[in-house]
Amino acid sequence: MTRYRIVPDALSASLSDGAVLLNLYTKRYFSLNDTGSRIWSLLEHQASEEEIVETLVREYDVEKPEAARAVNQLLDDLVAERLIEPTSV
Amino acid sequence: MLKLREHARFYVHAAGVIAPDRRAWLLTGETGCGKSTLTYSLARCGWPVLGDDGVVLERGSEGVTVHGWREPLRVSIELAAWFPELSQRESLVDWQDDRHRVDVNASFARRAKMGGVIVLQRGDRDVLLPLAPTAALAMLVRQSTFLLLTDDHACSHLRLLRDLVESVPCFTLEHTSAQLSSIHDTILAVAG
Repeated sequence: MTRYRIVPDALSASLSDGAVLLNLYTKRYFSLNDTGSRIWSLLEHQASEEEIVETLVREYDVEKPEAARAVNQLLDDLVAERLIEPTSV
Repeated sequence: MLKLREHARFYVHAAGVIAPDRRAWLLTGETGCGKSTLTYSLARCGWPVLGDDGVVLERGSEGVTVHGWREPLRVSIELAAWFPELSQRESLVDWQDDRHRVDVNASFARRAKMGGVIVLQRGDRDVLLPLAPTAALAMLVRQSTFLLLTDDHACSHLRLLRDLVESVPCFTLEHTSAQLSSIHDTILAVAG
């Protein structure tokens, strides 16, 4: 079960239509849509990748394989942007 | 600017003008998007200027206040084709400057309550469209270099920008030279 930690240099601002993330170390910012913003809020609550997928399937009109692909892609992007990092639990 | 930041006042790369309803509108966008030119166009119509390249934002009990960042307002002498009075200032042009700018007269103001945000973009048509909060915040983040300092104020700075875009109307304006004479009508149509 993979979990992620938000790095200390990451700042986030949630809005009505999404969120903006900022990495104070890399000096880069990242915009998220509404679904991405929901995933970020789940990461803030230390949800695992599997728990995030299950939540999206419950809350959105999406099949599990599609949700798993989207979550995995976003998590990869956030890791690449050094906004989150995997933790060993 | 760092001292201002310690007092929860945050600089943003944007022009600021005050509409007839006394609300401040930020004109922001990438360098060369027309901030100074449109600011001058509004100043000629009697709109007080808070700054043509930067303003300072501060959170108050009634929303965000925009403070002026007073520097001389400068526009290209090539705009004399639209603003004939500029031709009288040709002897004052800084010809070493790539854009051949000249200082122009404007009425400056010290501060005003926030009214709205317009992200400028030069294009081949004149169209004003609502801008979603996330897109508006991303642009303001991009124009807020000091936000990226790793100090205790970065979080307050980002939250102020977030609250700002959620509380006032935000637009994107693709514009041609036609806006030089109609920008005041464009903003008045959406102000308030």
